[in-house]
Amino acid sequence: MTTPTITASSLRAERWRLRARGARDFAGRFAKRREAVAGTIILLVFTVFALFPDFFVGPLQTAVTATGGRLDPPSVHPPLGTDNLGRDMLNRTVHGTRISMAIGLLATVVTVVIGVLVGIVSGFVGGRTDAILMRITDFFLVIPTFVLALVLAPIITDIVGPGVEVLGIRMTLIVIVIVIGITSWSSTARIVRSQTLSIRERTFVDRARAVGAGGGWIMRKHILPNVTNLIVANAVLVFAGAVLTETVLAFVGLGDPFSPSWGQTLNEAQEGGAAGLGAWWWFTPPGTCIVLVVLAFTLVGGALDDVLNPRRRARR
Amino acid sequence: MSIRYVGGRVASALITIALLILINFVLFRAMPGAPERIAAGRHPGVTAETFANIRERWGLDKPVYPISIVGEPPFVEINPENQFARYIASTLTGDLGVAFSGAGQSVAEMIGAAIGPTLLLFGLGELIAIFAGLALGAYTGWRRGGAVDYVGNGVSLVLYSMPYFLIGMIMLLIFATTLGWFPTFGMTTPGEQFASPLDQLLDLLSHLVLPVATVAIGLIGQYSILMRSSVIETLGEDYVTTARAKGLRDNRILRKHAFPNALLPAVTLIAINLGYVVAGAITVEVVFNWPGLGTLTVEALEARDFPLLQGIFLLLSVAVVFANLGADFIYGYLDPRVRT
Repeated sequence: MTTPTITASSLRAERWRLRARGARDFAGRFAKRREAVAGTIILLVFTVFALFPDFFVGPLQTAVTATGGRLDPPSVHPPLGTDNLGRDMLNRTVHGTRISMAIGLLATVVTVVIGVLVGIVSGFVGGRTDAILMRITDFFLVIPTFVLALVLAPIITDIVGPGVEVLGIRMTLIVIVIVIGITSWSSTARIVRSQTLSIRERTFVDRARAVGAGGGWIMRKHILPNVTNLIVANAVLVFAGAVLTETVLAFVGLGDPFSPSWGQTLNEAQEGGAAGLGAWWWFTPPGTCIVLVVLAFTLVGGALDDVLNPRRRARR
Repeated sequence: MSIRYVGGRVASALITIALLILINFVLFRAMPGAPERIAAGRHPGVTAETFANIRERWGLDKPVYPISIVGEPPFVEINPENQFARYIASTLTGDLGVAFSGAGQSVAEMIGAAIGPTLLLFGLGELIAIFAGLALGAYTGWRRGGAVDYVGNGVSLVLYSMPYFLIGMIMLLIFATTLGWFPTFGMTTPGEQFASPLDQLLDLLSHLVLPVATVAIGLIGQYSILMRSSVIETLGEDYVTTARAKGLRDNRILRKHAFPNALLPAVTLIAINLGYVVAGAITVEVVFNWPGLGTLTVEALEARDFPLLQGIFLLLSVAVVFANLGADFIYGYLDPRVRT
């Protein structure tokens, strides 16, 4: 019997084989959960809407290009009725997907980046840094962050000026992204920190330190990959919260009238007295979409948490 | 509860409140333009004299911070009279400044007028939601996997994903606009002369039904999900197995063994989540035009009335901090494991 020689390429191949097996394992466990599969399908459909709204309903209708009469009820055409300016509700709802999902995605990225940074540094460095960072985290966990977002949004808009555009995104929307990011990272930081605390004690971290790796290197190359699963599961749940927060912020009048996210449309319906006029088609389409998307994210996030989170996996 | 536990919790709450006051102060000073310009609004024809008056009244001609850095030695100047000290002193005495949007009313007055309706609405809504949500959660958790669990948990998840105001709009559409059972807005019928206090009470109640139902329905989903997972966790404990082995009836195990132990984490979580509840539920008042803090918040937002907004933020935050402190004490009192 010959001993197999270990080369760089055979190591790489082995690593890929392990990764593929891990992915298959994960897909198998995930696909067994019906609610997770249903959630994934809903999210895929909305992703397609968000990517190609023009393909399904044509360009976004404005007050000028509106095709219908004032508050037409649903019929063959328009299928979902029109709003008070004659704009097709199907058109607005499908276009709203892109805006709501884009804000949700950006806000999730900001939230998770802040949360992971604070969590890993706090857990790995420890000592006084940990104490100060966790004090700040606790502060954000305790206070009603949504009300802080309400106060912050108009102040930041005043500071930067409302008309500015960055990368083609209007400032009002960027402010919403920043505000959601600032106010919702604390639970991510807590979760990442507790996992970092346990990984920090493992032998491979000691070994890395023994061969002379610095703190930054260990955090990036050894801690971060080991909390990735946790981050993914958490990010999906954060996404659900971000979509919901954007909706409420837009509903109370902090949205952008030129970017009809679902919350913005609901704000217009409220201001126009839709419920009092009996115009149910003005708020049910965007409302249904919000519920579906948030529900889908919650289901998928919950399933991911069960499948990927080592602590929860051990319990069942 | 040890004195150390109580002291730690109280100190932590006080630090949080101090940070809140600091944030409030810094935020207001971070805005572009001189504060008196913002205070005078965007009206044309504001004279230099008006500005001077506002500066005088708010102490804006004093330095901002107690210590300022200057160009010549000793480089640090101590300012005994400064805006920061003045702000803290006035905040602690309940003086939150003058609102921009009201007719010369102080922030404290405007908040004071709105707080009663909000307490009434959310007190009732919370109460109903806690009882109904905990009962539903306990039952679905107990009958895990059954038909009731399947439907109950599904409904709870959908309600959990729904913004409160959307529930409100649907309720309004069905029960006020279409069926005409309840009034569509406000807390009382405007201009109505009531024959007796009883009529007045009935009028108030008919205005209350839909908003309270909305708040309750919005919360039931959350509470039942919390309670369900708490009950399921409890059912895995050894003492439940022991109770079963003793041959106790199912009903008795649920009521005497599982339910009381599951209640503790659920109630604590409810107290901790209070902040989110208050914030999310602000929008319910907007839908029903309920004259409370939520409607006031949105009006302040539209008028860019920053003193009023910050007053509301401070009040809600401090209330939530105290709710959390209360939850910590209840937990510490009931659960011997955290007493030390």
